[in-house]
Amino acid sequence: MSVNDVGTEGTAAADAPNAPEGGPGRSPYGRAGDLARRVPAMESMSVLVATVALVVVIGVIHPDFLSAGQLLDMLQASVYVGLLAGGMAFLISMREIDLSVGSMFGLSLISMGLLINQGFSPWLAGLLGVLLGGVLGLINALVVQFIGIPTIVATLATLSVYRGLALALSEGQQVTGMPVDDSFFTILGGKVLGVQTSIWVLVAVTVLLTVVLRFTSFGYRVRAIGSNPDAATFSGISANRVRMQVLVLMGLLAGVAAALGLAFFTSGDPNIGTGFELQAIAAAVIGGTPLRGGTATVVGAVFGGILLAVVGSGLQYFNIPVNWSSFATGAVILLAVSLDSLLRRRRRRKDAELGL
Amino acid sequence: MAILEARNIGKTYGGVVALKDAGIHVEAGSVHALLGENGAGKSTLIKIMSGAVTPDRGRLLLNGQEVRFRDTGEAARQGVAIVSQELNLFPDLDVLANLYPVTGPRRGPFVDRAAMTEAAEPVLEQLGLKVSLRTRLGDLSLAQRQLVEIARALLTRPRVLILDEPTSALEQASADRLLNVVRVLREHEVGVVFVSHILEEVMALSDVITVLRNGQVVMEARERGTLSMQEVVTAMLGDRPAQEKGRTPLAASPVQAGDAEAAVRPAEGADRTAGTGGADGPVGRAGRAADGALRIVDAGAQGVLADVSLTVRPGEILGLAGLAGSGHQATLELVAGLRRVETGEVRLPSGRPVPRGLRRSIAAGVAVVSGDRRRFGLMLDKPIWENIAQVRAVALGRDGAFLRRTALRERARDHGERMSLRCASVDQRTGLLSGGNQQKVVLAKWLDANPSVLLLDDPTRGVDVGAKAEMHALIRSATEAGTVTLLCSTDVEELASLCDRVAVFYRGKVAATLAGDDLNQHRILEIMNTGQD
Repeated sequence: MSVNDVGTEGTAAADAPNAPEGGPGRSPYGRAGDLARRVPAMESMSVLVATVALVVVIGVIHPDFLSAGQLLDMLQASVYVGLLAGGMAFLISMREIDLSVGSMFGLSLISMGLLINQGFSPWLAGLLGVLLGGVLGLINALVVQFIGIPTIVATLATLSVYRGLALALSEGQQVTGMPVDDSFFTILGGKVLGVQTSIWVLVAVTVLLTVVLRFTSFGYRVRAIGSNPDAATFSGISANRVRMQVLVLMGLLAGVAAALGLAFFTSGDPNIGTGFELQAIAAAVIGGTPLRGGTATVVGAVFGGILLAVVGSGLQYFNIPVNWSSFATGAVILLAVSLDSLLRRRRRRKDAELGL
Repeated sequence: MAILEARNIGKTYGGVVALKDAGIHVEAGSVHALLGENGAGKSTLIKIMSGAVTPDRGRLLLNGQEVRFRDTGEAARQGVAIVSQELNLFPDLDVLANLYPVTGPRRGPFVDRAAMTEAAEPVLEQLGLKVSLRTRLGDLSLAQRQLVEIARALLTRPRVLILDEPTSALEQASADRLLNVVRVLREHEVGVVFVSHILEEVMALSDVITVLRNGQVVMEARERGTLSMQEVVTAMLGDRPAQEKGRTPLAASPVQAGDAEAAVRPAEGADRTAGTGGADGPVGRAGRAADGALRIVDAGAQGVLADVSLTVRPGEILGLAGLAGSGHQATLELVAGLRRVETGEVRLPSGRPVPRGLRRSIAAGVAVVSGDRRRFGLMLDKPIWENIAQVRAVALGRDGAFLRRTALRERARDHGERMSLRCASVDQRTGLLSGGNQQKVVLAKWLDANPSVLLLDDPTRGVDVGAKAEMHALIRSATEAGTVTLLCSTDVEELASLCDRVAVFYRGKVAATLAGDDLNQHRILEIMNTGQD
């Protein structure tokens, strides 16, 4: 692919490529660039293919599945796990996992509901709830840093602690009696331009997180730590600081998801979001974020969440007994990950041929 | 008669001759030291003797019978055991389990710990290792772990034991400890092959000495008592003339000092014997010191370093030589902020004292090029440009919060061209580059941050000869562009040829600072082994 063969060792300075940029003999350092820049887009390719394929298959058999309303409802159902999965992709790409995201979501949601019942304006309560999510993430980070335990262990504990708080604060009861006519509920729980507000928020957050991950020095730091933690530390990156930032981000995302959830459901169940942590991890992994860290795709993670939602509602269309739904979900996860692995292997072969 | 004998051994690796015609014969109950420079063929020879490598030519005789080892397992079964440099132990298991990694005595399906203990205790006692067999191996000191490894080898009742660099960490007691080990081995009538860089130790422990140079035996089985250290050093290095300074003229160098700072270059040959007194003139706390020198004044750290004073000016490469643990590496760590300056002070070229912690040091303009590029240097799964951007743009955030990929790739391309990095494009995965080119990427990522102090820790480890010469030229030109450069290296030739001055450490102190005609491999080796100037 280039006059300078990969990996060959010569000492002659003569083969130093000195051709001017953009000239006819464009520097070999610049080739292959176009291809490489497409790789990030391709990372989430398999989950996109799988999602669309599944929608089409279900749609062929049950055409009414393809109605706009049905599809939007399905998207709306995927928003919460989708938001959490986006944050989880950040964490996984730095070789961390937060198991407390479902509980942070639940505790934030219950707290908002209780604050509203205490007479707080819903918007203010929503804002405080989002900030509470950030604080919960910060607590996770502080536990990790000052006790010196892995994130997965710390959040295994806070998974129960936060859920326990949600149950205790609500005394195990549904939080109801929301002022549903308030603009908080009509706007966040309603539609804008015919599409659920929460879907717009998911789109906006996905774009924002993608930009942060791919184009900011913060995003580079996150991925550098996942790629080689020792080299990152040795280059002057503070793993502790970055981890704290990402865990707080995760908490804030759980808070945002909680605000959207409360606005949509107009009531709070203290058990809401139980099991979301595993769904979020599954979504990120299905989406193409490898557990070994170093890379991540927020778009893929969000689509992973959507795929899980498609499976969920597809099962209803096929009248699959509810006791089989876990089985079916698991099978779909396996299928999606296998497809991803297959595509990845093919791409790696192609890359190797190109010497990338 | 020799227990193990290697005769006329030849081995070529893909065109590179490792051994031309080498041999050694090991007698029972005798310690045979095998010496030679890096690349002389020592490790190839012991790998052949222990079955890890098959020779192209030559014969191995065990008790007079010709043998051919298919692998190290077969060699071990026949009685040739090796204690290698990398400790092959399991840190999470206890000492006893480590002594019997594969074939311990059993009772039915169960491991017979009682029988194991019974066999192991006398051996450990002889070696002077006083720890409980239930101690987790990871809780032992490095020296104790090495004893465990030797004990493990002894429990297989070897006839020949090869000790490959048994003391990587030189402590005061290590010679005594090894003497003790060797005494035990002699009692067991084991033939010992002892490979070491540390001449002092070799002179203290061995009965006979064989020296290899360029794959050939240049000194065969000489009685230790008849040799002086000077003679051994001469045998190792040959009578080649004192190394020419490897200072490639810029024009011929593959590197173009393209930076504007290239102008800052001290006059060649000017008096560079910088006073080690330190504080020449007042240094403003914030202001840059008049001459931008790195000043280490009476620096010390408990038990590691004492009263080290060095001044290094921009444009100068100071070598730090010494045996492992003698303080040269600790000095590097002081400047990197990895080790606390307990006494004295270390001032960066800005005039400020070196901050605590690597991160702050890096932000203050210190670059740390590690020889362990796979662990500390690179993200092998990432493209070249991301690695080059890692310090300035990513870690230090000097290019702002939003990074422009095109700009970063452009800059990486500039570095690549200047260094004649051989790659398909800067988008290539770094792991696919050859070792030498990978190390260039490490250097590039640090130079990208415009450091004022460049710390090099064995920067050409595992790099082939051609790439090494290129790295040297790059280090030279980076230094001439105005950085203060400190070089630690296990390669004495590198120290002698690349550095302007070399500070030789011995037991935590600077034993001598060599420059000019005094600066050659012989002198460095001698002083680092004896401490005598």
